[in-house]
Amino acid sequence: MRDARSDSAAERTALLATLRSPPPARQTGLPQTGGSGAVGRGRFLAVTASIVALLLACALAGLMIGSVSIPAGDALAIVVHWLSGGALMTPDWRAAHEIIIVQTRIPRVILAAVVGASLGVSGMVIQAIVRNPLAGPSILGVSSGAATGAVVVMRFGLVVLGAFTLHIAAFLGGLAALTLVFWIARTGGQMTPTRLVLAGIAMSAVLSALTSLLVLTSPDPQLAARVLFWTLGGFGAAQWKLLPIPVIALAIGLAMMLAQARRLNLLMAGDESAVALGLDVERFRRTMFVLTAALTGITVAVSGVIGFVGLIMPHIVRLMVGADHRRALPAVALAGATFTIAADLVARSIISPLELPVGIVTALVGGPFFIWLLRRDARALGVAK
Amino acid sequence: MIAPGRLDIEGVSVSAGEAPLVRDVSLVVAPGEMLGVLGPNGAGKSSLLRTIYRMSRPATGRVLVNGEDIWRRSATWVAQHVGAVLQDMPADFPLTVRDVVAMGRSAHKALLEPDTPHDAALIAAAITLQRLDALEHRPFRTLSGGERQRVLLARALVQQPQVLVLDEPTNHLDIRYQLSLLRFLRETGVTVIAALHDLNLAAMFCDRLCLMEGGRVVAQGTPEQVLTEDRIAEVYGIEALIQRHPRSGTLWVLPA
Repeated sequence: MRDARSDSAAERTALLATLRSPPPARQTGLPQTGGSGAVGRGRFLAVTASIVALLLACALAGLMIGSVSIPAGDALAIVVHWLSGGALMTPDWRAAHEIIIVQTRIPRVILAAVVGASLGVSGMVIQAIVRNPLAGPSILGVSSGAATGAVVVMRFGLVVLGAFTLHIAAFLGGLAALTLVFWIARTGGQMTPTRLVLAGIAMSAVLSALTSLLVLTSPDPQLAARVLFWTLGGFGAAQWKLLPIPVIALAIGLAMMLAQARRLNLLMAGDESAVALGLDVERFRRTMFVLTAALTGITVAVSGVIGFVGLIMPHIVRLMVGADHRRALPAVALAGATFTIAADLVARSIISPLELPVGIVTALVGGPFFIWLLRRDARALGVAK
Repeated sequence: MIAPGRLDIEGVSVSAGEAPLVRDVSLVVAPGEMLGVLGPNGAGKSSLLRTIYRMSRPATGRVLVNGEDIWRRSATWVAQHVGAVLQDMPADFPLTVRDVVAMGRSAHKALLEPDTPHDAALIAAAITLQRLDALEHRPFRTLSGGERQRVLLARALVQQPQVLVLDEPTNHLDIRYQLSLLRFLRETGVTVIAALHDLNLAAMFCDRLCLMEGGRVVAQGTPEQVLTEDRIAEVYGIEALIQRHPRSGTLWVLPA
């Protein structure tokens, strides 16, 4: 560190003048590139490119592997053929393979990717909202609420809204849980991060107990097995008609989060500082909370509760590209998608032709990682912090 | 800090539930002036400062920056005019020093607007002025208390405030950095209101002082007017000698 006196007065005066300078008038010519972003931009692009490569590799594997394995060349050719509407590539593969890939595996891979990306960005935003990097989407109680909603429908056979009844019930269950968590956390004035987390944990515990109670008292012996899908998650139900809602939700949610990325950064500074830096903290936190809850609810509605993706992916991504949401959010969407496709691949190939619920895989991978992270953080920061 | 601003606090009271924290406080800080807020723990210094950066809304009274009631303007407008150096520290996330300093630009940026070379120049200038160049890419949470304090000051500087609020800015700092921080604040020419514990530093650097007790202003004026032996005995419950520093001539409070 330099000594205070070694700075020339002239240099200090110049720096102070810089600090006083107003922004230059808007230039109509070339768009200004961020001089600041140049720091570490190469690294960010390299990391992003690697994740994209990994994502594509996992997606290809997802198309090839299954009860019928399809060679990479055929799988690629079928995808190109399908994407081009039949204009490219002459079919020299078996028709059954094309049906498997187009009807089953492409929607499944897309669903896994969309769910993974949604969980990743939701998790990252929730961690910023509650200013606790150890939080995840399940902390809101939304996941448990969605599962409970679905179980209520199955238990009492309330099929009133057609094929999507279960999904709608799951979504509504998630929103109801969220509203309650919100109300509990707000009681008595301000909604602090700690109250939110504690309210979410309490809500999750009550809802899980309720779900178990419904299953155990059910006259239907098959219910437990069907409920497993909601509590452990899976993409076995993937079909094209299931995709539009989660895809649109992810697109809108991610766009809104990216637009607010700078403000999300401010939340990490602490509430008082965020206010001093110009953020209406209460209102912003509420908006982001509802947004992530909707995204999580829709995710659970199509794939059940898949744990740990929203908890650990944000961590890994921050280690690689830093905590600035302008970079971390797109990266976590890609990383979440990659991880979930890979987890689904393991879930459906490890005891083939049977399938494991994908939540088991993500928990088996994510749990130990999380424990390692906790211990590492404790060492790095001192347990007192 | 494009130009120093004026701060008017008019009959401000703040309470938490039933308990009054600040009672009918009125203050004026002229452009470029430095006002030190003194008082024992629990006197209401921080609660008063909170009303200036729009953290807590006064139950009665108004806070005006350049004649504008801050509760009639947006949070963004206030952050463009008032900067704050506070005690809360972002230690949970792996933010680098530069990330933390760059946060100060937020209030000046539109949605989705990228950082411009102007932003980068401001951030670089603030980092150099606070002697943080070597730490720029270090995680904030690995810094010492004093280093963190300088980062938070740099963040407030890139906010380009006209009024700077500091809540016990010399905490965590050794004597050399305490002096260089206060000297630096004077050098910037920005209007400053700071809660300070050290009476001698306050007398040395502030144009005027404001002594608080139990949420009220007990005395206001130049250091000579505010720091008297009787008043220190009354407010702090200690005996002290007030003398002049033999070389600089500023007031010197010696607990006896």
